[in-house]
Amino acid sequence: MTAGENPFGDLLQDYIVECLPLAEQVGDAFVELERSWRSDEPGDDLLTTVKGRLHTIKGNSAMMGIAPARDVAHALEDACGFLGRAPDARTADAAALLVAGGGLLVELVGGASPELDPAPATAFVERVRVYLTAAPGAATTGSDRRQTERRGPRSDEGGAAGNTVRIDFRRLDAMLEVLGEGLIQHSSLVELYRRLLRKVGAGVELEELDQTVLSLQKTLTRLESTLMEARLLPVSTVLGRFPRLVRDVAHAEGKKVRLEVSGGETALDKAVLDRLGEPLLHLVSNAVAHGLEHPEERTRAGKPAEGHIRLRAASVSGRVTIRVSDDGRGLDVEAIRAKAESLGLDVRNADDAQLHHLVFVSGLSTAERVTTLSGRGLGLDVAANVIHALGGTIEVESRKGQGTAFTLSLPVTLAIVRSLIVEVDRERYAVPLSHVAETVRAEPEAIRQINNQGVTQWRGDLIHVADAGAVLGTPESSRGLRPFYVVMTAGAKRRGLLVDRLIGHQDIVVKGLDPALGRPTVVSGTTILGDGRVACILDVVRILDGAAHVN
Amino acid sequence: MSTDARAVAEPLLGFADSLPAAAAGTAAPAAMLHLLTFTLDREEFGIPVTQVREVIRVDGITRVPQVPAHVRGVTNLRGRILAVVEIRTRLGLTPAVVTPSSRIVVVELMGRALGLLVDRVSQVTKVPVDSVAPPPEEVVTAETDFLTGVARWNSRLIMLLDLDKVLLLNA
Repeated sequence: MTAGENPFGDLLQDYIVECLPLAEQVGDAFVELERSWRSDEPGDDLLTTVKGRLHTIKGNSAMMGIAPARDVAHALEDACGFLGRAPDARTADAAALLVAGGGLLVELVGGASPELDPAPATAFVERVRVYLTAAPGAATTGSDRRQTERRGPRSDEGGAAGNTVRIDFRRLDAMLEVLGEGLIQHSSLVELYRRLLRKVGAGVELEELDQTVLSLQKTLTRLESTLMEARLLPVSTVLGRFPRLVRDVAHAEGKKVRLEVSGGETALDKAVLDRLGEPLLHLVSNAVAHGLEHPEERTRAGKPAEGHIRLRAASVSGRVTIRVSDDGRGLDVEAIRAKAESLGLDVRNADDAQLHHLVFVSGLSTAERVTTLSGRGLGLDVAANVIHALGGTIEVESRKGQGTAFTLSLPVTLAIVRSLIVEVDRERYAVPLSHVAETVRAEPEAIRQINNQGVTQWRGDLIHVADAGAVLGTPESSRGLRPFYVVMTAGAKRRGLLVDRLIGHQDIVVKGLDPALGRPTVVSGTTILGDGRVACILDVVRILDGAAHVN
Repeated sequence: MSTDARAVAEPLLGFADSLPAAAAGTAAPAAMLHLLTFTLDREEFGIPVTQVREVIRVDGITRVPQVPAHVRGVTNLRGRILAVVEIRTRLGLTPAVVTPSSRIVVVELMGRALGLLVDRVSQVTKVPVDSVAPPPEEVVTAETDFLTGVARWNSRLIMLLDLDKVLLLNA
């Protein structure tokens, strides 16, 4: 956990990227050895290369705590060592053992995670042990034959896993692309149907067309949910690594910590999970290093010496929330205030909640010390940025002496987002429905101008209403009030956005922004609409965050 | 991908290398540069065909808010999103007015596809490598920075664009 610039979520990925090719080379080399031995070539050099690679894999696996891969690499290393010294033992059965081990190693490294099932590795290590005990004394064909019989079907297959196939996630992405095209074609059909209806009026054929398009939509929706389900993984794949981390950080910091993880079964799109590790890791290590007090301090404050960190995931109305809470000292509002003032921010009238929120502002981390894990380059502002980039929100609550809680709210998937399509100065935009509270007809008398900002009453609150043309910088902005506004929400923030037309709801396939487009702050991605045109997806979180920058 | 980029740069490097040799009169079998040429205003520009993926008609370019200067927007290239560069303003000309003859030249740069909005695509032209000279010193405009050379061939003047430089938008 000490090597490398980035000790966070990408570590496991780095391990796989580094070791999988090695493991594959090892596997290939064993197949090659099997062939060589069959034609009575010794293959000594192959054995030597393989041993080096196995050693690397063993070391890296040990460092990452992937014990099954470490053990299999170790066992294979032993077997290769023995076979290097005993040319007579280079039989077909020995080769079969190596080939089986190589295959297993590829599987273990490729599927590396803290939850890796240790059973196949244990079984293989035992096989090697039995082989090595039997082989030196009687390296005869007889003993090898017994070995062959022992082999049988692979122990890691069958049973409940019988109906499972391993599939490259990129293939799921590819399927999603195809589905996306289907969805686009469906919207084209709907548009075409509407045009036909206007042109030729209602008729039996059109009604049938309408029905067919409707059932096509149902089919596509079913396909979509099946495909989305296939992309979901339990949050535990990320949360699972925290017990170890918390233990390590607690040890380094001289703290006593009890970690409670719940809701690990909550499902999230792998694409979201992959990017969630880093910010979560930061929040958790931060909680241990800075949130919790030292045991003596806790005892003095009348708290249990052992700190308590809770990591809770849950599904809440189509989103996933993850809460990281501690029962530590709470945020030091006075320190934040002082720091904010030193940075020239006006916080005279800020209340505690507003001051708490400042921990997400760059340069305002109040940590007194830089610790090995939590202080390395990644501030809370960076963690918050990652969450925002995922279309999520992050909020903090804290009470002095009682603890701090960070609550993340994330979309279940990034791939397909149900959105409201709106039109502004003849440009179309998609607003993710998860951020739309309501669409309202804008009555001129209901919107007042205060400090050059539109303000209206909405559900008993005063909210700002901004002109979408101004927010999006449309080249030919129409004058005057637009007829509708969309109430957008992100966490506790809300704001109205005035638009010209509400086009309708649509499942859109999210496409990224080309790097050539720089980093716009008001749009998070693009999508293709039914007419084949590209529309930008509004980045509601950042629009609401940057509300102050918009006049 | 980087090998692609190298393959793409090869013709240009090739002619750069060949310049002194041509001056010295080494009679190699006439090496030809294959160029896709297009016009911006009245001037003709060329890029190596090896760098061109395809040429498409302009069918709706969506403006994207807050993008760098010289990015016209994005368009739908068979279900993929293609960023379209306003190469005219990049070269110091007025923004393009899309007409029926406007085209998007899809080029590949560092393994990524990018679209160049041009007024009109002429054709694929072969010019001898030794017809290429460095950009003339006397024509000192901003655009000479973006040229690798100028080809004079059959009474045509084709300016060879340095795509790497032209499309380095964030610099």
